[in-house]
Amino acid sequence: VKSVFLSVLLSVSTQVVMNRWRQSVVEIQSRKREVNECEQAQAALSKVTACFQQMATSLGTNADGSCLREELEETRTLAHRICTGLHRRLLALLIELEQGQEDKEQVERLWVNFLSSLEHFQQDLRKVRILREFFPLTQRKDRQALVNTGFAGGTSEVAARAAMVQTPWLSAEETLCPVLKSHVEEIDVLLEEMLQRVNVPLWSVEPTQEAWVEGCSNQDDDDESLEETMEVEVVSQKNTSGCCHHQNCKVGCLLCLLS
Amino acid sequence: MTIRNARDHGQRYRPRMACLKKVETVVLEMQDPKSGVKSQTQRLVITTIPHAITGEDIVAWLANRFKIDALEARAMGTMMVAFGYIYPLQDHKRLILKPDTSLYRFQTPYFWPAQQWPVEDTDYAIYLAKRNIRKKGMLELYEQEQYNNLYKWLNHKWDFIVMQAKEQYRAGKERKKPDRVVFDCQERAYWVVHRPPPGTVSAMDYGHERMVDPNVVEKKTSEYYRRIIMFTQQCIMRPRVKSSVSIGALVKCSTTYKEHDPFLHPCLPSNPWLTDDITYWNLNMPNVEIPTKMRVERWTFSFGELLSDPRGRADFRLFLKKEFSGENLAFWEGCEDLKWGAAETMKEKAQQIYKTFLARGAPRWINIDGKTMEITVKGLAHPHRYVLDAAQTHIYMLMKKDSYGRYLKSPVFKETQRRAIAPEAHRFSDAQLEQNGKRRRPSLSPIILRQQEEEQKAKLAASGPVDITQLCRFTAPVPHLAVYTGICEAQSTASPGLMTLPNSAACPSPISVAIDSTPASERRFDGNGGPSSSHFPSIAEASVSEEENQPPVPKSRMALSLSKLLRRGCNAPSVFASLSPKCGVTSGGGKVQPLGVEPLAQPQSRRIANFFQIKVDIPPECRIYPIDSEDEEDDGPDTARGVKEIICPWETVTKQDGAG
Repeated sequence: VKSVFLSVLLSVSTQVVMNRWRQSVVEIQSRKREVNECEQAQAALSKVTACFQQMATSLGTNADGSCLREELEETRTLAHRICTGLHRRLLALLIELEQGQEDKEQVERLWVNFLSSLEHFQQDLRKVRILREFFPLTQRKDRQALVNTGFAGGTSEVAARAAMVQTPWLSAEETLCPVLKSHVEEIDVLLEEMLQRVNVPLWSVEPTQEAWVEGCSNQDDDDESLEETMEVEVVSQKNTSGCCHHQNCKVGCLLCLLS
Repeated sequence: MTIRNARDHGQRYRPRMACLKKVETVVLEMQDPKSGVKSQTQRLVITTIPHAITGEDIVAWLANRFKIDALEARAMGTMMVAFGYIYPLQDHKRLILKPDTSLYRFQTPYFWPAQQWPVEDTDYAIYLAKRNIRKKGMLELYEQEQYNNLYKWLNHKWDFIVMQAKEQYRAGKERKKPDRVVFDCQERAYWVVHRPPPGTVSAMDYGHERMVDPNVVEKKTSEYYRRIIMFTQQCIMRPRVKSSVSIGALVKCSTTYKEHDPFLHPCLPSNPWLTDDITYWNLNMPNVEIPTKMRVERWTFSFGELLSDPRGRADFRLFLKKEFSGENLAFWEGCEDLKWGAAETMKEKAQQIYKTFLARGAPRWINIDGKTMEITVKGLAHPHRYVLDAAQTHIYMLMKKDSYGRYLKSPVFKETQRRAIAPEAHRFSDAQLEQNGKRRRPSLSPIILRQQEEEQKAKLAASGPVDITQLCRFTAPVPHLAVYTGICEAQSTASPGLMTLPNSAACPSPISVAIDSTPASERRFDGNGGPSSSHFPSIAEASVSEEENQPPVPKSRMALSLSKLLRRGCNAPSVFASLSPKCGVTSGGGKVQPLGVEPLAQPQSRRIANFFQIKVDIPPECRIYPIDSEDEEDDGPDTARGVKEIICPWETVTKQDGAG
């Protein structure tokens, strides 16, 4: 009886230990998954804000229009959704990770990156707000004020790129996106709150990227530099001396066509 | 640091930027397709891009719109380019408007210079990273330097920066090729304006930032009205002169200075701001050995010019040294030091100045009139920064009316004039100018400059010119008669036995009255605070006669002191006599009025009443205390206690009550 009792006890205790161990493994795994989700979300946020900026540079130019502004709004909404989700999850992770664990560095780095992106995005939002006020498109004659900068096409491709972004919670959670003005203020509040609640000194974060590394990747070899593009222009300019409407340009026209 | 720009503090408004709003309206007019500048298409190999404008068209449009001549229109156009509202398509690093067929384009409003927020380093870092990606590491030298700097300083954000750069790069590639080219041009132009490469002059290179946004219309609160009221009241209180007088002054100033103004007249050898060659600055360093001719000429314009130029002041000091009247300048410099120096040492400085220059019997006594002296001493009871203003002004006018004129005719000045150099003008070619631009380096750090200044001052103090006006107990005679300048420098003692100056840094500065209780002193003592003229001539004679004799057997204190003096290795008495102390630089010395009020009587009763006098034109009222080592010996080896110092009247009031 004793031996049976002992064996039962042993098996129960090992089971308990095993359960605990399994639980912690599961915990670790789920946290790892959460961290990875946050990383992906950060990458997505970068993409969306970059596209937002690219589109914002067309504001006030001849390429501006209601289409552009709608696209800007959609992108902004998207960014807002990513931000709120990421903010919530990062905060939870950081609070959880108060005790020194292996993921701590990574989460702190994520935190700093998120703060920087938020600030950067807020800057763009401010500029967009000012530009929209400066160039209202409510009346027809307002289009005359738009600056002719040389832009020809629109930025729909850029907007599409932004729209393609995926984050786990995008479809799941529906948060109401504030108006542009209050969005800016909301980010202010968010930033302050974050800096107060989390005690991560910003300068303690070490980046994973070394200096100059990004220039070494050999993607897009066919990309010619801006200087080359513009250099060639000088030569051809001399040949054509302006546009084809020049009177003595018969020969010039040919050259234009060839060059 | 919070990520937000820590230096903001509401001080983000740039000076001289009120014009930005106005430029924006002009730009909007200019780009109007109907009434604006004529636009063309730019032809590139790959594509064509519209909306290019030529420099000459811009100039013509501006001249027509504002009814100005071509030169001014060109200047205005250059300003717009320098601000970044229009950017050049060729030669993009030079932000000027060329009035020919060079092409320009309007900058997109997103990249317009804005007043509300400064350009962030983070954005520049992202731009450089993007450029690095595109050019695969082949950045220009200055860009590489900036990149490395930013990598260090923004290190904690670097992952974000690279990620954002990559994403922006890819987002840009989504656009059609011509638009991509346009955007890249715009971005590059933006950063040329806000982070100019060496040799580029950008209008956004402004100075300090302001607290107030100059474009915002101020709300009319009571605070605002209070300020306006104060401002207008001060305007009313300002002294006025007739317009003919003020215009005359302006004309005179213009004619005097017109060749010295670098804006109106090319400076020799060349203006460093224009040619990036710093020879001009090197030749005009504050303490250069040989000044330039222009600089020396400026000294003749006014006394203020001479004094404010350190080299000029040094020359003047040399001249005064030769005339043995350097105490005026030293006093003036001491007052300046007091006015502009640190607050914590102000009291000590004021005391030192008093003891050295103003007190009766001070070693470098300056001659100011009685009323000023009264005011000054009264004020010194509660010293503040401007307590010596009246005296300083008096001395300044003294120097200006008297010494300055003599200086300009003196051999010192003539020698300096002769040796002054007039450099040849540089003639740089364009290539050389570019070279110079590349070789630009930051100037000496202000810390180093400050150290050099301190070294200069120390050198000056240590090996200063002879300036002793009166010999007294507080001046240790040194064989070569180089004594000291200024107030607080180290004592140069030739032999160890000499008494140290109370004014030297090593000395403690307690205002302690050393009690001297020799009966002889009382016997000899004058008895009151006022000067008595009867005493001195006899003493003078007595001293002279006693100098000639060897110390007699019935040793009077005076004789004793003299013998001590002589034994201490002083030069022959004739040297003393040959000194020409300038107690009063101006005519008719003896302007010192007795400080009737002050309770000098009591401390004086404790002083040694031996006076001897250098036998040249010292006004009888001057009181000089002899160097008397005997008391020191009598008191024992404790030199610190034995040092008798000039008592500042206010301190005696506080220390001994009921005096006088």
